[in-house]
Amino acid sequence: MTAKIKEFPGTSLNEQDFSDGKILYNFDKLNGAFSWDTGIGIGAYLASLKNGVILGSHCKTCRKIVVPPRIFCEWCFRPMDEFIPLQDTGIVNTYSLCYVTWDVQRIKDPEIPAVINIDGASPLHGIMHMLGEIDPQEVKIGMRVQAVWKPAHERQGSITDILYFKPAKEN
Amino acid sequence: MPLLTRDPNSPLNWQGELPVTNRYTYGLAGEKFFRTLKDECKILGTYCPHCDHTYVPAAIFCERCLAKLDEWIDVGISGEVDTYTVLNVNLDGSLSDVPQIIAFIRFGDGGLIHRLGEIEPEQINFGMTVQAVFKPPSERIGSILDIVYFKPA
Repeated sequence: MTAKIKEFPGTSLNEQDFSDGKILYNFDKLNGAFSWDTGIGIGAYLASLKNGVILGSHCKTCRKIVVPPRIFCEWCFRPMDEFIPLQDTGIVNTYSLCYVTWDVQRIKDPEIPAVINIDGASPLHGIMHMLGEIDPQEVKIGMRVQAVWKPAHERQGSITDILYFKPAKEN
Repeated sequence: MPLLTRDPNSPLNWQGELPVTNRYTYGLAGEKFFRTLKDECKILGTYCPHCDHTYVPAAIFCERCLAKLDEWIDVGISGEVDTYTVLNVNLDGSLSDVPQIIAFIRFGDGGLIHRLGEIEPEQINFGMTVQAVFKPPSERIGSILDIVYFKPA
């Protein structure tokens, strides 16, 4: 639709007009600080990431192991029975090559966010993370990957305690 | 054992900050209003002959008849205190040492909300004439704060 419109109404501006002082403007920074309650499930997950373990939770009734751990089962709605430490390996469920950063900067070497099905969890249960130490063209759905952790003293109980997942040898 | 107790080692909350910034341009009328305020220390309004209404700060169209306004009027730098309030609390909720007086100052059929200065709260009368005090030219950036405050005229 917009491709047919040659000229849009209004006054068009570019970055140069701002830096040259041709246009007056007001810059403001909103206070966007937030504090999110981690709850029981994610709290335990973050605490165990600090110890270098990916944690899941297990419903004995449904025989499901989910990751990240939840405190109730999404299938039977009963409380989960236990936390289960999982492997830090898995397989790539899906991925994307991102040539644009979160704040819309172009980059040459793509970031590779991926959903990784974690070994030990039920099939197709995984977490989203980054892939690294790999040629972007070599990434395949179904390839085995392994977590690369921060050194223990630098971990702070965050998903970024895992730096990225790198390719692992096929079993 | 159901997972109903919180691990004492787990972080209570996750803290972060959303990087929300914005850049607001003043529009056609606002650009001219603030440019004149900055360069010439004048407060501009626009007049609608059809509705006999003077908009301050200047508007590019009439809110009543939607006509485009091109009759620009210098309304002077003195207006009347229409209403005011005394603020004893800062933005963050703490008590302020010096109370601030915020007033609506009438110009034409509109007006500006700004600070009052060089006056004590008990000296203010509704309808009293106040005059804009401008920053020195080098410090003016084309903002309503180029006026430091309004003082009794």
